[in-house]
Amino acid sequence: MTTVLKAEDLRKQFGELTAVDNVSIEIDDGNITSIIGPNGAGKTTFYNLLTGVLQPTTGSIWLRSGVEDDLADVTDAEPHQVAQAGLSRSYQITNIFEGLTVRENVRVARISHEGTRLDFRSRATGDESVEADVEELLDLTGLTHIADTPCDTLSHGEKRTVEIALALAIEPNVFLMDEPTAGMNPTEVAEIVSLIRELDADLDTTFVVTEHNMDVVTDISDRIVVLAEGAILADGTPEDVLTDERVTEAYLGSDSA
Amino acid sequence: MSATGIGGRVSQFGSAVAEGWTRERFGLIGAVALVLITFGPPFQVYLFTDFLVVALFALGFNLLYGYTGLLSFGHGLFYAGGAYGIAIVLRDLGPIIADIVGAGISPLVTFVVGGVVGLVLVVVVAVPVGWLSVRLEEIYFALITLAFGMLGYSLIIQDPAGLTNGTDGVIVLLGTVDLGGTSIRIGGRRLYYVISAVTVVAATYGVWRVVNSPFGTVCKAIRESPDRAGALGINVRHHRWMTFIISAAIVGIAGVLRAGLASVASPGLTHWSTSAIAVIATVIGGATYFYGPIVGAFIFLYIRWAISRFPTLEAYWELFFGVLLIAVVLFFKQGAVGGLYLLRDRLFGEGDIGGANGGGGGAFDAGSQVTTPPDEEAKSSNGDVRTDRGDNS
Repeated sequence: MTTVLKAEDLRKQFGELTAVDNVSIEIDDGNITSIIGPNGAGKTTFYNLLTGVLQPTTGSIWLRSGVEDDLADVTDAEPHQVAQAGLSRSYQITNIFEGLTVRENVRVARISHEGTRLDFRSRATGDESVEADVEELLDLTGLTHIADTPCDTLSHGEKRTVEIALALAIEPNVFLMDEPTAGMNPTEVAEIVSLIRELDADLDTTFVVTEHNMDVVTDISDRIVVLAEGAILADGTPEDVLTDERVTEAYLGSDSA
Repeated sequence: MSATGIGGRVSQFGSAVAEGWTRERFGLIGAVALVLITFGPPFQVYLFTDFLVVALFALGFNLLYGYTGLLSFGHGLFYAGGAYGIAIVLRDLGPIIADIVGAGISPLVTFVVGGVVGLVLVVVVAVPVGWLSVRLEEIYFALITLAFGMLGYSLIIQDPAGLTNGTDGVIVLLGTVDLGGTSIRIGGRRLYYVISAVTVVAATYGVWRVVNSPFGTVCKAIRESPDRAGALGINVRHHRWMTFIISAAIVGIAGVLRAGLASVASPGLTHWSTSAIAVIATVIGGATYFYGPIVGAFIFLYIRWAISRFPTLEAYWELFFGVLLIAVVLFFKQGAVGGLYLLRDRLFGEGDIGGANGGGGGAFDAGSQVTTPPDEEAKSSNGDVRTDRGDNS
């Protein structure tokens, strides 16, 4: 196993509040890591630090760039540089190009990945290699049947799937999913879980998931990291972590422990 | 261009025209109309030229607004840049060029050189102004561009370098080409119309290619969600900067044509009230459609002309636009083009919503609608719109 993402002593201070408190973590390829924790534990802030949206107060972030094993420092990188370095993400509140069709959404990501963003002479639909990749991705994520539907008319579950397709279209080394099942009904949850499993098996991408639905967490995770009040409370296999008393306490409060 | 050859393309075009209300048929009708207008009454030729120039101004502006999501209130700066570029070349370099190429052809050469200088000047101004402006978003972007526009206005009036002739502006004399016997006045209404029409059609085609290119696709993505675009590895700020420059250049071409049409480059071109013309035309026509600014410019100029025929009303023509603008913003968020699509759907049934939805199937390839008109919202193509769009925020 190789380390694909590493955070060292990562700390984020908002005035008096320490949102992320000296978090050190190494993510290995080949397994699905879940980051869980109660609301306000700092999960989304942690993601925003990793993806360059926020700058850490102290600490550093390292990312495996390309196929080599050595890690590149992306601590001060901007979001688009982090994405180019191989870190992709989905958002807790679906963030896709609502006014465009599903196919156009994925096409944008492929244009970004292919580096043809500044090409204003050729037709967007003219590059056959890009179009073939777009079709492949739509097929992989099961979106082919709604490819030409404008995204603002899709169901919530479909939009979440489009976001996964977008994030994967840039062929990331690491994919940070922020609550992939948020707001979904049970059928959609089952669909997205099986999709994540399938994608994890098919692709070289390493999945990191934050999630509130514990059934989903136990179902997909090889490793669980528990954040509480910005710090790592527990880290290990699902069996170890979920039987940990401190974890139960953090979730249910000390009185009921 | 490869296998079919010219003959093949012509017959292909012919069958596309015959097929129905295709893009080709609209194109052919438009081209015939453009040619016929050349022979219209002089004032109508002038008015139509005016419309074409304003249409290009608004179209360039809308590349940044409707396609990239940045509302500029200072595009008059680039309109003026093009106009002053050609005006100063005509005034200061005319005699020099005449010495080089000979007096007969020199007005034409000076006109072309002036146009190129105007365009280059605009790009030179747009590079730093854009670089600074795209650091801001939304209302702050609108305000900084407004400030740059008014800075240009002040500089032109103060005239520190002695180039712009203050509040009077620079007179534009296009001159007469003398080809040993036949003399052709470039500024003549019909010829100037032809020059403008060819330029505007070519520039419009250029903008159309840009919005349908990978570059334009990324613009639309940035308009929809800059964060998402950034998270996919797109350098949003840089892309906005490039769009700003292209948008300014298109507006600069319109400015060059404006100078020749008005026979003067005046400071008012960079006043915010001129920048607002692009905004108003675009909003009336529909910012989310490629042809929206063109339709909006048409409505703007022809309504203004119609009002001017009633001298008692003329003093209040801005009032009419105020009312029109309020009506459009309240009832036709998609502008006149959106209204036309809505009307078409009402008249010809619901089977054809693909065109209005930007799917590429319609006569006009709208391709860029931000929001779906309310009566289309329910008609999701998979018929499975759930109402419980839960949000775990």
